[in-house]
Amino acid sequence: MPPKIASVASTKYDEHPDSSSRELFVEAAIDAFEETDLGPSDLDAVYVGNFMGDLIEDQGHMGALLADHVGAREVASIRIESACASGGATFRQAVHAVESGAADAVLAGGVEQMSIANIEHVTDALANAADDVYENEQGLTFPGIYALMARRYMHEFGARKEDLAAVSVKNHNNAVENPLAQFQKELTVDDVLASKPIATPLVLYDACPVSDGASVVIVVSEAFAADHSLDTSASVLGTGQSSDAVALQDRATITRTPAAERAAEEAYDEADTAPEDIDVVEVHDCFTIAEILALEALGFYGRGEGTRGAVDGETALDGKLPVNTSGGLLGKGHPVGVTGIGQIVELTKQIDGRHPNQVEGVNTALAHNVGGSGASTTVTILGGE
Amino acid sequence: MPKWFDSFTDTIESDEQQYLACETCGHGTLPPRRLCPACGSADLTREPLSKRGTVLSFTEISITIPKFHGETPYTVALVELDEEITLTGQLRDATADDIAIGDAVVLGTEPRDAGTAVLTFRPAEE
Repeated sequence: MPPKIASVASTKYDEHPDSSSRELFVEAAIDAFEETDLGPSDLDAVYVGNFMGDLIEDQGHMGALLADHVGAREVASIRIESACASGGATFRQAVHAVESGAADAVLAGGVEQMSIANIEHVTDALANAADDVYENEQGLTFPGIYALMARRYMHEFGARKEDLAAVSVKNHNNAVENPLAQFQKELTVDDVLASKPIATPLVLYDACPVSDGASVVIVVSEAFAADHSLDTSASVLGTGQSSDAVALQDRATITRTPAAERAAEEAYDEADTAPEDIDVVEVHDCFTIAEILALEALGFYGRGEGTRGAVDGETALDGKLPVNTSGGLLGKGHPVGVTGIGQIVELTKQIDGRHPNQVEGVNTALAHNVGGSGASTTVTILGGE
Repeated sequence: MPKWFDSFTDTIESDEQQYLACETCGHGTLPPRRLCPACGSADLTREPLSKRGTVLSFTEISITIPKFHGETPYTVALVELDEEITLTGQLRDATADDIAIGDAVVLGTEPRDAGTAVLTFRPAEE
């Protein structure tokens, strides 16, 4: 029996300079409790996805701290860190805890407070997701890593900067209708191309912003849902996770993301689904090139064809495969350790039929969450009743 | 910087043995590995690098981490050496406008603070 999602909630992703991880996390948790009349005493565990609490807020040990703050001081708690895939990995561990019978109700949340540090400090903290010696110490930055992938992709497949920009335009435009998104402003391809260079060929609007926020999902067993008469809609049909070399230079190729391919294969197999069964998708678009590589790794496009999604409108809200209806990381924001949980929140709303950019007839949905430049990837497939 | 990286850059300058070749599967890798990442074998031997390679990709960095403040813009290249070892380093004697994917470059090192070194690539002489 697949685990069920009892409730979901997110804070707005934005800069919250007067807040903190504990306040943001609790805000999302309270909303999740209220949505379904569950409370802290119903939980068996609290899992927290977080990447840089110790680097930005001098706060480690987030599992116990946040279990305490959500009123579940005595349950099993842990912080799960897998760079920007922390949220996806946290959700997957919660699913496994319920599937194994070890827990009946797990609060899987994520929180990140990034904007309180200056941009140099945040950039330095994000660089912890790369190989410090062979990458950071050589002067490579995180945008620089994706820029290396983008330039090589453009060289091999003839993609243009305009094709990358189309991803940013689509996702920013989707964010406008999402009240939880950081950006509420439409962009054009010209706007993107005119933004300042950060690491050629990538410019500012090829990149996601620095964000603060929290998201929470309560994962329960089917028996727990029945016992508590929960009105659940989404089930977890399958999950997958895989790793790769942290340093880009140690990968066999930089125009593919094999960890995502392996995670997707595992999730599709467990869910007994295929790419053509998926109705709506949230992918990890930390940079525009990342969405293109994701669509290819997930089996929606062949190699070198991923640019078609945004350029031809196939991944638009009214396209055949809507991708990042939330606005994605580019438009909605990217509180790094939260993003994988936030994707589950958005897809659950799509399955429930209550998303601000609702797609008609959503029954099967897929989330793809990446850590680093592809060294950690989780894929989750959700289904309706 | 860890001692092993200082040893690695020292051997590049000395033309001694710098990379690790797997006796079992032939995969090449970089220090400080004890096990081959391709097959798990512990039979790794040190072999010399030719220091010549071609550009796989490159990027001109405009916004950087604190360690490299004041040095932007600079260009980082990903280069595959003739032994199929790929390294990340900074371009010297040329800018991003002067190079292209596939260009031949030569590996070197450049001293930085605290006695450590950064990897560099220069356009190869014809």
